[in-house]
Amino acid sequence: MAFNILVADDSETMRAVVKKTVEMSGVPIGEFHEAANGKEAIAVLENNWIDVILSDINMPEMGGMELLQTVVANDDFKRIPLIFITTESSETRMEEAKRLGVAGYIKKPFVPETIKAILYEVLAKAYEHRMADMPPQGNDGGMDF
Amino acid sequence: MDTNLRQTIYETLSEVFETMYFTFLEPLFEVPSREEIVVADGYYEAVIEFQGEKSGRFCFYLPRKLARGITVNFLGVDAVDVNESQVLDTVRETANMAVGCLLGRIDPDGTMKLGLPKSQAASAFSADELLARPGLFLFNTEHGLLWVVYEGE
Repeated sequence: MAFNILVADDSETMRAVVKKTVEMSGVPIGEFHEAANGKEAIAVLENNWIDVILSDINMPEMGGMELLQTVVANDDFKRIPLIFITTESSETRMEEAKRLGVAGYIKKPFVPETIKAILYEVLAKAYEHRMADMPPQGNDGGMDF
Repeated sequence: MDTNLRQTIYETLSEVFETMYFTFLEPLFEVPSREEIVVADGYYEAVIEFQGEKSGRFCFYLPRKLARGITVNFLGVDAVDVNESQVLDTVRETANMAVGCLLGRIDPDGTMKLGLPKSQAASAFSADELLARPGLFLFNTEHGLLWVVYEGE
């Protein structure tokens, strides 16, 4: 029932904030994995079952665009939806991400509700059968922290 | 510097601080005199470069108290639970978010590429030197003055 989530961001504090936001969103979380760049994310994918990836674009070693390219080109990973959480908000970059197959796009700065809404949307599209048993999205008392 | 660009910089930084850190910035549109400025006990510095059609960099100088305050708000934890590494990481991420968001607004075609931000304790902070810079932006906060310097074409 629960979803295994991977967050890739070179900022440890941003990973912690995203984790907290996801936990408060009501999405049932199984395992929560973290990576500081695309290379580390690939290593996590090779060794764990992951249901959704939340990734920054601007990271050292391997950035988010390269990670996305690797994911969609790999038969084992291409089923995994990838959502960008990033400051890179130019139309060109967003179009490129869309063309490569990104499942969602969240611009920093963000409010928790945005992550929640897009995460639900992406998970619902990818895992309709598992989302059917989840509480409905909406008035749940807010997500302030 | 173009007035519209200055305004966009003021608005973008204010939005980042309010949305992510629940911290309000009051832009100082006129630079106060040196006598009017209270210099904090210590500062953190973050630098981020961008390259492309135009190239340049932004330097952020945050009073220690402000840096700790936004880290506490960002992580949603008690002040005693915040360590130096988290503060430096938050200061770095602030530069990343602020300038990344700014480039998205002034460069919709994505011709400019953002570098990786760096942060450190600003041991050589000099208000006199910064006040002489043409690309200086100042913001009042509840924890002292935030200094932002733009250097570029």
